Amino acid sequence: MTPAAVEMRGVELRLGRGFRLEVPELQVAQGEFVALLGPNGAGKSTLLRTVLGLLKPAAGVLRVLGEAVPALRGGALAALRRRIGYVPQLLPARSELPMTLREVVAIGRTARAGLGRRLRPEDWAVVDAWLERLGLAGLAARTFAELSGGEQRKALLARAMTQEPELLLLDEPAANLDLGWREQLVTTLEALYGQTRLTVVLVCHELEVLPPACHRVVWLENGRPTATGTPEEIFHDERVCQLYGEGLLTVHAGGRHAVVPANTVRHGSTGRAAGEQDHAGA
Amino acid sequence: MPGLDLMFWAPVMAGGAVAGASSGLLGTFIVGMRIPFLGVCVAHAALAGAVFGGLAGLEGPALLGPALGAAVVTALVLGLADPQRTRLDDNTVLSFLFSATMGLAFLGIGLYGILGKSDHDVRGLLWGNLNFCRWPDVRRMLAAALMLGGYVAVFFKELRAVMFSRADAEAAGIRARAVWAGFLVLTAATLTVNFQTVGGLMIYSLTSNPAAAAFQLTRGCGRALGLSALFGAVSGLGGFLLAAATDLPSGAVIVLVSSALLGGAVVWRRWRS
Repeated sequence: MTPAAVEMRGVELRLGRGFRLEVPELQVAQGEFVALLGPNGAGKSTLLRTVLGLLKPAAGVLRVLGEAVPALRGGALAALRRRIGYVPQLLPARSELPMTLREVVAIGRTARAGLGRRLRPEDWAVVDAWLERLGLAGLAARTFAELSGGEQRKALLARAMTQEPELLLLDEPAANLDLGWREQLVTTLEALYGQTRLTVVLVCHELEVLPPACHRVVWLENGRPTATGTPEEIFHDERVCQLYGEGLLTVHAGGRHAVVPANTVRHGSTGRAAGEQDHAGA
Repeated sequence: MPGLDLMFWAPVMAGGAVAGASSGLLGTFIVGMRIPFLGVCVAHAALAGAVFGGLAGLEGPALLGPALGAAVVTALVLGLADPQRTRLDDNTVLSFLFSATMGLAFLGIGLYGILGKSDHDVRGLLWGNLNFCRWPDVRRMLAAALMLGGYVAVFFKELRAVMFSRADAEAAGIRARAVWAGFLVLTAATLTVNFQTVGGLMIYSLTSNPAAAAFQLTRGCGRALGLSALFGAVSGLGGFLLAAATDLPSGAVIVLVSSALLGGAVVWRRWRS
């Protein structure tokens, strides 16, 4: 039996005095595309950082790619992280840095090349291939600060992919993107998964960001996973009504999902109004 | 200028160029990490070390030992402090370290008076004087600069990743903390050696201005590094020559030349765009 890419059992972690992450059971199978969703402060990013070994749980079993993460130190932890691509939520904001996009993407090859060793031509070939694949080749010589927010997100995705990861962790990759860029990103993630069959854990709090490849959602609230299932199972009318208020409609079509105000839905929609039906027509 | 005694002034010119180039080199990462205050902080830590070394009976070049020790410890505190755990930004840690080391230095200088000792040696360290730079000083500065340059050459790609984002570099499996700590130790050593000759103010300007000017004019980390070192050397050597030609104080002119380079770079970039 193939071991899970991520396995958490009885994991507990405290952040300061206020927040506590508790994961009684969570598994992500190899090759699976899973989304962690939940309101702000639910613990989604904390869970992701725990998987990366950036935060240490106080109790429980945490295995990532077959490694017991809490027991790893120094070089062993760094070796595990080399196998994990990570796209952080926050974009580095040092606008004066002269680093080109190509240099930023090459950071993904840095650990693989070895400490103190120069990047080889093969490493640069991987960098250039990912720039090309994500439509960034024409921007390679620009500085990171000269790119738009959407291009920067793609650059960080390219950086993660140049690591040739076995597990990809995406922390709100569509944050602050306009609709056009968000859709580009969703299309890119779908294509990427289709081509690589990589294990992906995507953190977001809008179900519009889920690509069709994502067949399982884990819903987190107050630091605990409270539900897991397909997007259709998790985002049923009652939950949407409970989360966002009445008079909203969940639309599930073509593998994509959205929550929209019921009174904006035109004829032909496949969705149903959350809460009372008369709100949908209001 | 026509009466410049080259035998006497050659080490001064070499010292200015080496101090400028090494400060410009390390300044690329310091300005890139947005911690330009590091230079002056480490310089004051070195001063505190020298002051207490003097109180312990050390003199002259022997003061370099405690100065170096204090500077390295200060740099390591900054390098090893985990912003996640301490919940303190690097600049806040620097602010604390700067005020603490300056407080210690001035406490020590006060003790010289109370104990009836001369504080001439340590006061000289505070301001430095490039005009008294001799070949042994240049050799020390060159050795520190070469060690720093060698370290940057070996760990260039790791330092570039740390400069972009230390947290992201750690998450990508790069030994960011160790590489950054090593860089800070060599930075502390380089600044301490330079500090004895050029003083704190010149160090601050030579670590900040050349790098900031290079960032204005070029794309690419390697080019910025080279240009910053060049601007540093030009500031150090050019500033001295200008001061000699105009009979003005060399330290002040070096600082003003490096400032003018930054101002010129900003104007040039705006004009070009």
